[in-house]
Amino acid sequence: MSASGPYRDIVLDHHRAPRRRGRLAPPVQAAEGVNAMCGDQLHIEVRVEQGRVVAYAFEGTCCAIATATASLLGDCALGCDADDLAVLERRFAALVAGEIVEAPELGALNALSELARYPARRKCALLPFATLAAALRGEPHATTEVPA
Amino acid sequence: MSAPLREPLPAFDPLRVRADFPLLTRTVHGKPLVYFDSANTSQKPALVIEAVDRFYRQHNANVARAVHALSEEATAAYEGARVALARFIGAGTPDELVLTSGTTMAINLVAYSYLQPQLKPGDTVLVTQMEHHANIVPWQLVCARNGATLKVAPISERGELIVERFVELLTPEVKLAGVTHVSNVLGTVNPVRELARECRRRGIPLLVDGSQAVPHMAVDVQTIGCDFYAFTGHKMCGPTGTGGLWARRERLSAMPPFFGGGEMIREVRFSGTTFADPPHRFEAGTPNIAGFVGLGAAVQYLERLGMANVFARERELLAYASDALRSMPGLRIIGEAPDKAAVISFLVAGAHAHDLATLLDLEGIAVRSGHHCAHPLMQFYGVPATCRASFAFYNTTDEIDRFVAALDKVRRLLV
Repeated sequence: MSASGPYRDIVLDHHRAPRRRGRLAPPVQAAEGVNAMCGDQLHIEVRVEQGRVVAYAFEGTCCAIATATASLLGDCALGCDADDLAVLERRFAALVAGEIVEAPELGALNALSELARYPARRKCALLPFATLAAALRGEPHATTEVPA
Repeated sequence: MSAPLREPLPAFDPLRVRADFPLLTRTVHGKPLVYFDSANTSQKPALVIEAVDRFYRQHNANVARAVHALSEEATAAYEGARVALARFIGAGTPDELVLTSGTTMAINLVAYSYLQPQLKPGDTVLVTQMEHHANIVPWQLVCARNGATLKVAPISERGELIVERFVELLTPEVKLAGVTHVSNVLGTVNPVRELARECRRRGIPLLVDGSQAVPHMAVDVQTIGCDFYAFTGHKMCGPTGTGGLWARRERLSAMPPFFGGGEMIREVRFSGTTFADPPHRFEAGTPNIAGFVGLGAAVQYLERLGMANVFARERELLAYASDALRSMPGLRIIGEAPDKAAVISFLVAGAHAHDLATLLDLEGIAVRSGHHCAHPLMQFYGVPATCRASFAFYNTTDEIDRFVAALDKVRRLLV
């Protein structure tokens, strides 16, 4: 049985069976993403060699949208440097805001494009990006919630 | 047998009542809407929408200012709504009802006009674990200004106020107690009459937050015996931006103004201003005239339905939905008080509340997910958020069937 809206089959699949879930052997750069209003807690860690992400892992208790995004983000992040990821984050933010219809460089993350119709849920999908960016900047915490 | 002399009151017919609400016929995501978010805001019957429309088309003018015909009509309509509302909640006289933008404004009025001038360091305000932020934060702000503190009466795991603990906490330094009549998350109906009696014995004023009570049951503020009763219009079929604060005349007369401006004065001189009597003393500026005209119509509508009918119908819906949900695997209902309004907060193991709510929305079903403006209550249960289905008399058991089937479907997608 398939759902619709932002819950395409690939999103549900990555929610139920997340890829790269767990921890990496050190040395790693890590950050915690917390959206306290939702209760989402995400830990993302990466190994960076010569400025590029060579390994990615995450753990956490999140909604399906955040979990699937964190899982799908792993594929995108490998091989990227911080500048590449900043571009991807901006493109993804534009995608879920409905400013662009598709971004080929985001690959399977395009499945989240329906979030354009669910503004209240965008912060869920943006949390993994913000957490990864924080890890690369050496900052311990990230959130995509603005105080209500 | 002789024929009845008068037409019998129309019997409560759920399907006919439903037809009074134009919005309920729309679709969402291509599916018929099931609106289970009435604890957030109720839908509006056509006669309320038409009353607002008619006011702007035929009677619009400012109140209590001009001598022309339209202003007299607008004033009569606005004050007529006050009379209807006062009667509806059992106020002794309409002068004891301050019209506000809603419960939040009403509670803030008490916090700043009544409490703040007398609150001293070491004093406390008593609230309960199940309060809405609107019955927590205003007290916190005033306590912080005055060096006072807030203390909290506990609840049981079932979501009932532990009355004996509440009573124990009514110590002499408590300068006001604030209790919700009905919890917006748990549905728990608090024994406000008993609480008011205990407060009265100790000379402690009690404010009751009636936001979730007035729309769903017959309320009589004088029988309750509290000192302040706050409520909102938009949850009782009225427009947003309407509500009220009831307090006895002596209480209101002793309170200084909170907002200053037009409407609330007797005479203004640069050397000093004298103020109008309550309730107008607390109604500075142009009020939400059209909104209150709509709320007056809502009161007439609810009176025609009969609040006993509304209460009975919603209890039927609650029982029906609770029975259906209890058999769903992994589902936990938060709030199991025996005396409970038609609100069901729930969790599904392995599924996030927001995922459930978004997926239900795709099925055309509107429920609320999140913290429901009750962070301390979420902290008590150790959960960040719940889903909440809240029913009104215009809902049907068919809708509950659709909701339960959809919830089962989306649960399987997520878990």
